[in-house]
Amino acid sequence: MSSSKPVSSEDIIGQKYDRCLADFLVKTGVGFSVGVVASVILFKRRTFPIALSTGFGAGAAYADCDRSFNPARIPGTRIIPASPSPSGTAPDEHKHQV
Amino acid sequence: MRYAKNSASRQVTSAFRRNAFGVSRRRFATETLTPPKKKPRIVRRIVLATTALTGTFYVGSAFLAFNNTDYYDFFSEHVPLGQSMLEYGEANHWDTMTVHSAVDYTVRTATSIKDFIVEKVNGAPTSVKEVKERVEKSAHDAKVTTIRTVEASKERVKDVAAHVRTNVQKEEDKLTGKAAAIAKHQSEQLVEGLSDLVRKAEEALAVKPDTPASDSDTPSKSPGTPSESATSRQHDVYEAPLPVGFEPPPGFSLPPPPKKEPPPPKYAELPLVAPAVSKLASSEPIISHLAGTIDNLASFLKSNPEAASRVTDVLDLAKNDLSTLAQRIESAKEEERKGLEAKLDEQTREYTLKLLETEMEAQDRLDNQEEEFRKLFDLRQSQLIQTYRQKLEEELKTQTDLINERLKNEVVAQGIELQRRWIREIKMRVEEERGGRLAKIDELSAQLKRIERVALDNSAYLDENIRVHALWSAIRGLSTSALSSPVRKPFREELRVVRHIAAAREDPVVAAALETLEASEVPDVGVEPFADLASWYTTSVAPKVSNVALVPDQDAGLLSHLASHLLSSFRFKRHGLVEGQDVLSVLSRAEYYLNEKDLDSAARELNQLKGTAKVLLHDWLEAARRRLEVEQALEVVHTQATLASLLVV
Repeated sequence: MSSSKPVSSEDIIGQKYDRCLADFLVKTGVGFSVGVVASVILFKRRTFPIALSTGFGAGAAYADCDRSFNPARIPGTRIIPASPSPSGTAPDEHKHQV
Repeated sequence: MRYAKNSASRQVTSAFRRNAFGVSRRRFATETLTPPKKKPRIVRRIVLATTALTGTFYVGSAFLAFNNTDYYDFFSEHVPLGQSMLEYGEANHWDTMTVHSAVDYTVRTATSIKDFIVEKVNGAPTSVKEVKERVEKSAHDAKVTTIRTVEASKERVKDVAAHVRTNVQKEEDKLTGKAAAIAKHQSEQLVEGLSDLVRKAEEALAVKPDTPASDSDTPSKSPGTPSESATSRQHDVYEAPLPVGFEPPPGFSLPPPPKKEPPPPKYAELPLVAPAVSKLASSEPIISHLAGTIDNLASFLKSNPEAASRVTDVLDLAKNDLSTLAQRIESAKEEERKGLEAKLDEQTREYTLKLLETEMEAQDRLDNQEEEFRKLFDLRQSQLIQTYRQKLEEELKTQTDLINERLKNEVVAQGIELQRRWIREIKMRVEEERGGRLAKIDELSAQLKRIERVALDNSAYLDENIRVHALWSAIRGLSTSALSSPVRKPFREELRVVRHIAAAREDPVVAAALETLEASEVPDVGVEPFADLASWYTTSVAPKVSNVALVPDQDAGLLSHLASHLLSSFRFKRHGLVEGQDVLSVLSRAEYYLNEKDLDSAARELNQLKGTAKVLLHDWLEAARRRLEVEQALEVVHTQATLASLLVV
């Protein structure tokens, strides 16, 4: 997304994968580091804060990645198909507030 | 001129006459002087005899001539003075004289002679009688001349009148009567005037001789007998001319009677001398005295004839008286003679002058008349000629007009006919010509038109061909640059050229196709080559689409994507034209179509995909659609060009 060069349409999925991976790494690393710090400082060198924070980071990254793949999936909302979609036609998406 | 000539001739004649007068006068004077004195009786007798013989011969011849025509001719032709004698006789009507009248005449003459002798007993001087005779002769001559002139003039007048008449008769019948009447009238007038003149002259002449006769009456005692006969003859002669006017004018015979009347008184007067002389007594005292003495003597002698001896005194006295009287008479005679001569001359001159004048006048008048007649004749002739000419001209004009009109009509008719014929001929000729040259020309022109049409068609064909060719070239260029090029490149220039060429042909279909093509941005960008598209599909698009082939159309999250990606790698790859609505089948069919170089069908197949696959195929489909659009437009243009080229041929 940040790249100036327009990406070809067939490369959109791969790009999303790349970004999700990068986000994951960043967020898990951030969580891991935060856990380390917290364990060291607060928990006297206990391991659980490290694992917890790494999990948080990984979870956040996953959520973001999923949202990137399916932007219509917003928490609390659910998209219901209006009718059994006929083949060859673009699906009409109707957002219903849950 | 004529007048001058006449006057000259008249003068000559008058002079001659005067000379003759003079000579004769002289002779007679001598004669008068001689007889009583010298000459013997023999001479007198001879003279008397000869005169008597000649007189009888002439008178008898005249009478004989009047009775015998042969002798008349002989006498008038061969005997000198015969003609004049005859004329004189005719003038005195001798020819008509009968025996009785002759006897009467002779008796009268005898008595007159006797009376005359008685009267002239005293002897009137013969000279006086001779003078009288001469005067008479001259008067007679003058008369004769006048008559002659009158006759001549009359004849001339007649001639002229006849000439005029004939002329006029020739000229015009109407005029003749008038002219003749006028001429006759004129001639009559002239004759009358002349006769009057002659009468006057004769009267004058008659009166003149009388006066000397009356003068000489008184002393007529001494002369002898011989002169008496002469005087009687003279008297006769003198009497005769008076009726000379035997000419047509009838009034001329009247004058004689008054002249004949005087003699009777003379006879009555003769016995008494003194009373007759008493009239002259006042002027001539001697005569009265003498008369008285004579009367005395006579009475004395009557009373006593025997006392003649005593009369001597008286006779002496008378002789003296007579001598003085004779002298006086002589002088008076001379004077009288002279006066008479002068008068006669004057009168003759005057009358001749008058005569000539009248003659001249008549001549002039006649000339004038003739001139007038001639003029009138000329005028009439000219008028007649003019009228006839006019008539003739009119006739000619009408005739010529008629002829001209007829000719004109004929000419017009002929001209019309000829024109018709000519027109027909010309038409025929023209037709022939038309059948010949004009037809050829028509043919040539038709051929030329055909050629022209052919040329035009050809040119149009050529133009069309050229245009089609240009279009074809442009289309080829466009397709080459747009579709067949190995790389993608813009083709707006080529498109513009094609559009220009197509705009010239005004093809709505091409225009519409090219317009839609031009309106888009495709020409600027260009289209992907088919090879590129195919490789792009096979290398990148088809595997990636097959990776997401299992992703659901809706709510496809990360997990589904990951699962699809994983599972798709385990699926069997299908190839060829396979059945099935799933993504992999569609992809295989598209791949097959692409291998068959059927971009359109491939695009159609791929366009049926939904969801994520479609999103992934978006770019490629876009490129394929652009190319297909261009291809379609070019196809349309190509078809039109093909149609045009087909139409051209």
